[in-house]
Amino acid sequence: MRKLVIALLLLPIMGVGCAPESQEGTPSPGTAPDEGTAPEAATDAEFTIGVMPKLVGIDFFNATERGAFEAGNELGVHMVFDGPVTNDVNAQVQMLDKWIFKKYDAIAVAPNDPDAIAPVLEKARSRGITVVTWDADAQVGARDFFVNQCTSASVAKTLMDVMAEGAGAESNYIIVTGSLTAYNQRIWMDEMEQYRQSAYPGMTNLSETPKASEEDQALATQVTTDCLKAYDTLEGIFAITSVALPGAAEALRKTGRADDVFLTGLATPNAMREYVLDGTVKKFVLWNPVDLGYLAVQVAVASAKGELQPGVETFKAGRLGELAVKGDQVILGDPIIFDSDNIDQYDF
Amino acid sequence: MIRRVLAMREAALALVVLALFAVFAFTVEGFADWFNLCEQSRHWIVPGMIAVPMTLIITTAGIDLSVGSMVALCGTVLGLLYRDAQWPIALAAMAAVLVGLSCGTLNGVVSSYLGIPPLVVTLATMALFRGVAMGLSQAEPVTGFPAGFRWLSQGDLFTIQGSGGPVGLPAPLVALVFAVLLGWIVMRRSWMGRYIEFIGDNETAARFAAIDTRLVKCGLYAACGAICGLAAIFHTALFATAKADTAQGLELSVIACVVVGGTRISGGRGTVIGTLFGLLIIGMLGFGLDMAEVDWLGSQHIVIFVGALVIVTAIFNEWMARWKGDHQ
Repeated sequence: MRKLVIALLLLPIMGVGCAPESQEGTPSPGTAPDEGTAPEAATDAEFTIGVMPKLVGIDFFNATERGAFEAGNELGVHMVFDGPVTNDVNAQVQMLDKWIFKKYDAIAVAPNDPDAIAPVLEKARSRGITVVTWDADAQVGARDFFVNQCTSASVAKTLMDVMAEGAGAESNYIIVTGSLTAYNQRIWMDEMEQYRQSAYPGMTNLSETPKASEEDQALATQVTTDCLKAYDTLEGIFAITSVALPGAAEALRKTGRADDVFLTGLATPNAMREYVLDGTVKKFVLWNPVDLGYLAVQVAVASAKGELQPGVETFKAGRLGELAVKGDQVILGDPIIFDSDNIDQYDF
Repeated sequence: MIRRVLAMREAALALVVLALFAVFAFTVEGFADWFNLCEQSRHWIVPGMIAVPMTLIITTAGIDLSVGSMVALCGTVLGLLYRDAQWPIALAAMAAVLVGLSCGTLNGVVSSYLGIPPLVVTLATMALFRGVAMGLSQAEPVTGFPAGFRWLSQGDLFTIQGSGGPVGLPAPLVALVFAVLLGWIVMRRSWMGRYIEFIGDNETAARFAAIDTRLVKCGLYAACGAICGLAAIFHTALFATAKADTAQGLELSVIACVVVGGTRISGGRGTVIGTLFGLLIIGMLGFGLDMAEVDWLGSQHIVIFVGALVIVTAIFNEWMARWKGDHQ
């Protein structure tokens, strides 16, 4: 009992102990935004941008990292590139919290989920941090700009055209995706279906629910192997993430079905090189991730410094030149189709 | 007088909390910042709430390793009922608490009435509950929760305009204060607390003293489950996501708060106020090291710190108890 009384007596002391600290704490961060609010006052050495991929350690995001640092060095800003080790939105939220605490000037993030990421991005914006999404979007109100690798319609069209050419305009196909909730993948699949209806009504999607591989290459191999057994009339497979496509290619090679099933999708040349050279995969599609990372940083920095405002038609993005701006989206351009002829020109 | 104050664990812990705060405040930029601390404290609510029933369980010389899995399972059920079964969010949240209560009751019945050690029972249910959550959700996260629901963990009771933007008092702190108050009343202001300490001290003697030890213990595990269900609501609201693989390692944080707070791991002596200080110490340590960009051993330094701290304080607690026993 007496212990408790003393403990309780100590509580207010603790409170007093906290109060002056927090008051001391507030003026010092207060001085930083004062300097920060005037864009010209913030010299570039003080400007910090945090760039977060969906996950670290895979080819695609390693390539975006190179591009991001290239832009960061060109612009002379301090850059941090970090993300979770799995495609976990909760981990992204916790890391973003820390970046807000550290009062970064701009954040460029590739969200794993548009809804779950939105509150922390709104919090960042309410603290005066410029927020740009890239690779995948968040809810519209949660960010300043979205750096769109290419419009979803152009990705969908390119994929379907490659499939129609490879497997025929009457073919049956399935789609292997990353996670079912990933916003960009859902949109691509919607656009693919729309384009199929207008351009290739003879083609059939055998899997009404796409096959999820959760950004896990071994799982993608497993899922694809299962599908090869389950669908007798299967002629084509789309694997629409950079992890799913090599996984699916491995399944095709193991089962020796590369001649009767046409596989295409989205992945990096480095991950696909061996499968293209041995003929398992004839053609696949991707935008340039080095350019994507480069553009994300260019847009975030320009937006934070007030050089890029909503409503403009074009944006001059360093070595990429003038790019189209549609509303609050900056568009990187059309995707590249890789095959055995051109794959050796790319290293990412 | 000073020596007597220091002999008291809660007072000593309060000093440790103050010292830790002072050290981080002076050495780590961005630590003593009202906004940062308030925002970070949102992450302490879930372990803090669960640490209260865990304190009581450990005081009876028991343990519950399944708390993280219960949070994941309850959150998953909440998400699936809301999204797939289209239940109103409040009803889905109540169902989550009921699921937690059922899980906790299972732990309690098997360990108390069937006499299987709680360490084994809850180790098994830790895997079991996680597996059920994975199976139900197909390992697929549920998102798209309404703003009113997210407010529970992300909202503020009130906000004031700070220099760097609005600063608010996090709404979920109410739940933590309520949980600690309830735990304190049970431990220090009711017959329950004396029973719990008696059971942990000498269960056989407690049974001979006509205490229904099995009922008390079973009730504690059930209550722990229900609070995990409640915590799952706040956990889901905090991340606006319900997923089956969330809250991994939560049991370590929770048990660390309890042990660092001065509760004996071998039972017999427990303090809810100490656990609250334990939460502050563990929380500040994690936050401070994080903000200091300490990067020893990958990013595993916090787990290493917490693990080491638990061992050291557990030994210290035992040593203190024996030393006191010799001198009283």
